[in-house]
Amino acid sequence: MTDNNTQDSTDEPTAEPDGGAVAGAAQAGDSTDYLTSEVNLLKPSTPFMRDHLRIIWTGFALWALVVFGPVTLTAVIPDVMTSTMPVIGFPLHYFLVSIGAPGGALILAFWYARKRDALDDKYGIKHATDGGVSE
Amino acid sequence: MSAFLAHAGSAVAQSGLLPEGLNVSFKALPAVLVTAMLLLFLVIGFVFKVADTEGMWVAGRSIGNVENGMAIGANWMSAASYLGMAALIATSGFYGLAFIVGWSTGYFVLLIFMAAQMRRFGKYTAPDFVGDRFNSDTARAIAALTTFLIAFVYAIGQARGMGLVGLYIFGDLGILGLTGYQSMVVLMMAITVGYLTLSGMLGATKNMAVQYVILIVAFLAGLYVVGFVNGYSTIVPQLEYGALFAQLGNEFSEPFVNGGYYLWIATAFSLVVGTCGLPHVLVRFYTVESERTARWSTVWGLGFILLLYLGSPAFAAFGTDLYANNIGPVYGDPGMTAAAGDVIVVLAAQLSNLPTWFVGFVAAGGIAAAIATTAGLFITGSSAISHDIYKNLINEDATQRQQVFVGRMSIIALGVITTLAALDPAAPIAALVSYAFSLAGAVLFPMFFLGLWWENTNRQGALAGMTTGLVIWTIPMINEVMPNYGLLSGAAGSDGIVSAALAQWLPAIGSALVAVPVVFAVTIVVSMVTAEPDLETKKLVRQCHSPEPMSQQQSAEDVVSSDD
Repeated sequence: MTDNNTQDSTDEPTAEPDGGAVAGAAQAGDSTDYLTSEVNLLKPSTPFMRDHLRIIWTGFALWALVVFGPVTLTAVIPDVMTSTMPVIGFPLHYFLVSIGAPGGALILAFWYARKRDALDDKYGIKHATDGGVSE
Repeated sequence: MSAFLAHAGSAVAQSGLLPEGLNVSFKALPAVLVTAMLLLFLVIGFVFKVADTEGMWVAGRSIGNVENGMAIGANWMSAASYLGMAALIATSGFYGLAFIVGWSTGYFVLLIFMAAQMRRFGKYTAPDFVGDRFNSDTARAIAALTTFLIAFVYAIGQARGMGLVGLYIFGDLGILGLTGYQSMVVLMMAITVGYLTLSGMLGATKNMAVQYVILIVAFLAGLYVVGFVNGYSTIVPQLEYGALFAQLGNEFSEPFVNGGYYLWIATAFSLVVGTCGLPHVLVRFYTVESERTARWSTVWGLGFILLLYLGSPAFAAFGTDLYANNIGPVYGDPGMTAAAGDVIVVLAAQLSNLPTWFVGFVAAGGIAAAIATTAGLFITGSSAISHDIYKNLINEDATQRQQVFVGRMSIIALGVITTLAALDPAAPIAALVSYAFSLAGAVLFPMFFLGLWWENTNRQGALAGMTTGLVIWTIPMINEVMPNYGLLSGAAGSDGIVSAALAQWLPAIGSALVAVPVVFAVTIVVSMVTAEPDLETKKLVRQCHSPEPMSQQQSAEDVVSSDD
């Protein structure tokens, strides 16, 4: 592949300048043409992307809390965080970081994969079908 | 942490690394075990051999969730997970947990932002992705160079691990006037390159699942038996070591003693973004049947990884207690050296007076982890050179034969430079490997992330971003690591660091914390002020996010081009 300087700066995804020309036969019956909808993490352009990103950001926020929350609290209120837990004998901060964070990430990963499967169902996505928006 | 690393450095200078307390002698049974393990990998590879590379990838696409999850686990867990993590937890206490957190929780970020999209994009090496996404041979070359550097830096840690554990199994060989550790590095790297020459032709993923099983069985058997015979634990050592905290000493759990809050966050962050930028992790998404399998096998992979990661602090706790009872105080001066820390998993088994073959089995698991990962890294690194740099840039008419020759030469070159760098390693295993993660996080992660999530990221932005990432990664490497190899050692202080202030805010071990935001900003700004990418490229990105299913053999490129 060579460096290619011909750039198509007239492409404004929201305006669909190509008049949906790329919405070929493969997508017949769809109300959303994913090849003409802009991909921008901060500006989801299709209902599917909006729903998907809502799950992603929720998961990401929870993840950030689980992973960086305990260690930050340990820096802020060390006395509370280093107190010994009953029964298992761990200092609280050690438990939350060594077991809580990795375990939390695993649970979140499971949660996300389930949610994403549910999203597939909502949009009628199956391997054999041509997909499409159900709303 | 810097004091800790300097401690490691000075130990190197005097002794050529000799873990105190480790029984260094030739042991027949463990030696047979290691050989048998490697032979088994070769046999399985031979049985599942596929005719050609094309066949390998296509056949590979039939792989399901659980098996691919195991392959992710085996590919992932190297000597750094098996030996290095417990080592840093034993010697650096709470700081060591940053490695557990960084190396496991990063998979969630990979899952939600990248796994399925990468699968749809259908490119399975970093240079291929970067080259095709940004339509640039220069970008491809930078990605190839980065891939090669990652393989090299990552492998230094593996060589150190093999060298240290090899001392237990093969003893002090004293080849050519080298120290025992150095002889072992040379021997083990020779074995690795030899293994690679044989296994390079054979089936991959079947092997990975077996490697995972062997590795996890060796580790967990070691953990359970050590815990049981010493009366530390019975059925859940992962929780029962909690009872030991009182007798382990404050240093084991007290927060921010070895490295403050900033260093902790920088390390964990670097390892997280490094996880999402490592080329050999991506390959695993190419071998699954659909993006749904890509997602679920990531979940399984994380689960399989946690089986070892949750046990690692327990192993470190047992090892630390045994060390204190049998060898001497763990903390303070002299305390446990970094070399002894790096073999704490083996040392714990040995100090429990377990039979030699059992200790050898635990040690062999570590060597298997190191060899398997090194082999994978060397293949990635050499194909970056032979395919992406030689074929694409230097000699476009290269024949298959010339390419294979260049590929073999780069494997040998990688073997030689890794061996040389590992003779006097700058830091413990886990820290060495972290340098590679900082690099992947600083250079490749922003390209993957922006490339997949913002269609207007263009070639100029990518080039500027990757260059910035490389520069930011190199600065602390020169500041902290190079003096250990004699470069700039005149300018360095007694702790082997040129500028302590720079090392505090831009530590080599966690430089991605600074690099990632800067690289994101540079890439975005440059992309905005230059022309947008062409429609073809944008459609490629859109296809990665479309929920519509793709057939097993399709990549985003196929869909987009067939559409026109």
